[in-house]
Amino acid sequence: MTVPPPTVRLLVCGSADRGDDGAALAAVARVLPALDEHVRQRLEIRRCEQLDVTDLVDIPRGTACLILDTVVGVEPGEVVTLSLPELAAHSRGVSPRSSHALPIDQVLGIAEALRGALPDGRFIGLGGHWFGFGSVRSRAVRLAMPAYQCAVREGIVALAAVPVG
Amino acid sequence: MHGSDLRFQVHNLTRVEGEGSLHLLVRDGAVAEARLEIFEAPRYFEALVVGRSPDEVLDIVARICGICPVAYQMSAVHAFEDLFGVEVEPATHALRRLLYCGEWIESHALHIYLLHAPDFLGYPSAVDMARDHRELVAGGLRLKQAGNRIVATLGGRAIHPVSVRVGGWSKLPRRADLLALRPALEEALELARATVHTVAELPAPPFEREPRLVALHHPQEYPMNRGRIASSDGLALAPQAWGEAFHEVQVPWSNALQSRGADGLPYLLGPAARVVLDHEQLHPLAREALAETGALESIRRNPYRSIVARAVELVHATAEALDIIAAYEPPDAPAVAWESRAGTAAWATEAPRGLLFHRYAVGDDGLVAAATIVPPTAQNQAAIEADVATFAPRVLDQPMDVATHTLEQLIRSYDPCISCATHFLDLSVERQPQEDAS
Repeated sequence: MTVPPPTVRLLVCGSADRGDDGAALAAVARVLPALDEHVRQRLEIRRCEQLDVTDLVDIPRGTACLILDTVVGVEPGEVVTLSLPELAAHSRGVSPRSSHALPIDQVLGIAEALRGALPDGRFIGLGGHWFGFGSVRSRAVRLAMPAYQCAVREGIVALAAVPVG
Repeated sequence: MHGSDLRFQVHNLTRVEGEGSLHLLVRDGAVAEARLEIFEAPRYFEALVVGRSPDEVLDIVARICGICPVAYQMSAVHAFEDLFGVEVEPATHALRRLLYCGEWIESHALHIYLLHAPDFLGYPSAVDMARDHRELVAGGLRLKQAGNRIVATLGGRAIHPVSVRVGGWSKLPRRADLLALRPALEEALELARATVHTVAELPAPPFEREPRLVALHHPQEYPMNRGRIASSDGLALAPQAWGEAFHEVQVPWSNALQSRGADGLPYLLGPAARVVLDHEQLHPLAREALAETGALESIRRNPYRSIVARAVELVHATAEALDIIAAYEPPDAPAVAWESRAGTAAWATEAPRGLLFHRYAVGDDGLVAAATIVPPTAQNQAAIEADVATFAPRVLDQPMDVATHTLEQLIRSYDPCISCATHFLDLSVERQPQEDAS
């Protein structure tokens, strides 16, 4: 049987040992095993401690991306879903917590300039509170994990099902 | 406010790592005050490591910076090994240089292509530059990625690596792991050599001064992990003895401690200092690239030319990385055994932005009792302020936006990492017009 090429690049940002920054990793660890096999086969999963331009530049036509990260700028525990242009514009004050080398608008802007367009896709973030050392997450994030996992699962299924470009 | 004061303010310095501002007060046509204002909150890492074991410290200090975590690990691990009398195997020393090469490559490529080049090419940001110079930016990104891959291979991950341990490593790379890095590094070396030629042609604002330069110096190797602390005026100190010639001072406008020499004067660290003081130790390919530019003297005197020094170091780091990989034979064990000893552990290594000094008091219980971490950007603050004060009068007659841009470009020449320093930038220039003579 020929495995179909991935149609969704899942970019999972954050560090598992920096408090709420590990929320995206934890959510994906729960969501992936429960996905249908045919959906999983359409995923290319990249773990990114920081979202890098190179993670976005080589996304081929026909492949979408889903970026997951803990965010600041919203209430801890709030789940936010944004288009990539909205993310670049810091809509609703959302800022991914994992970006350091370059601000997220620069990462997306350079990727857009090099590709000619932003890749299709979206960003799903979870408002974080505690980013200290260790794997313990804040109460707000712990309570919101089921909702975040649900949003991640729905995001993957929606992007994997919709032919793009 | 004085009646003749002219305040010149840039509130948000962009394309630097972290957040801060520059404030310039011009009175009667002369610069009365140049302040690099670092308002990012203190991060308390020196307190966080108290009560921790040396190996825990290595993981904690790596979190000070997402760009130069290796430097923090290197200064710390050498400090502890020096105190404990640990002799690591030559292969371990070579691997640590390889790890440092990876960090220099990713840090320098980021700064040259995404933070500083837009200044020289007349773009407000790397995004705008990328639209017109796709191949240039794409090449810079591939260079950066080559560095990231080295750090990920040796350090377990590209950001905040976790494999450095007192005595060696928690896990050694296989020879095949390193050989897999060669194709990307071979391309990176060619990109780096082309980068030297490209940036050497960039027009730099005319500014010359006589800085006091400080960097490690080692007779056999370009300075990274070891050597004596040397200066352009003849200093030669052991890497543990930073405090004998330099000291930290607090100024009211900065949350980062500044540093000054024993004479109270500023000094400059970083790629320009290293290239000037240590050019004879550059890899032959880097030495050749530097010679072709004929830029050594301008690198010493003009801070805007630091971009050339950074590019030369890109050649050095990629070439040395390839040499280390070619010669690599795994040591017998990941780490050598060691025993803790009470005392003061201190060492300095060369972070991408310059000399990084660590000092730890280790107690009888083997835990850290006190720590002092002196990052290069904190040390460079006073030199940046002095250079801005010297250069600013030359641009004060220009339109505000031109003057502001030229001063921002000057500050970016030092590649300041404000997150490290307080771990900062926002520029304000305050002009006070000449007082009415009547």
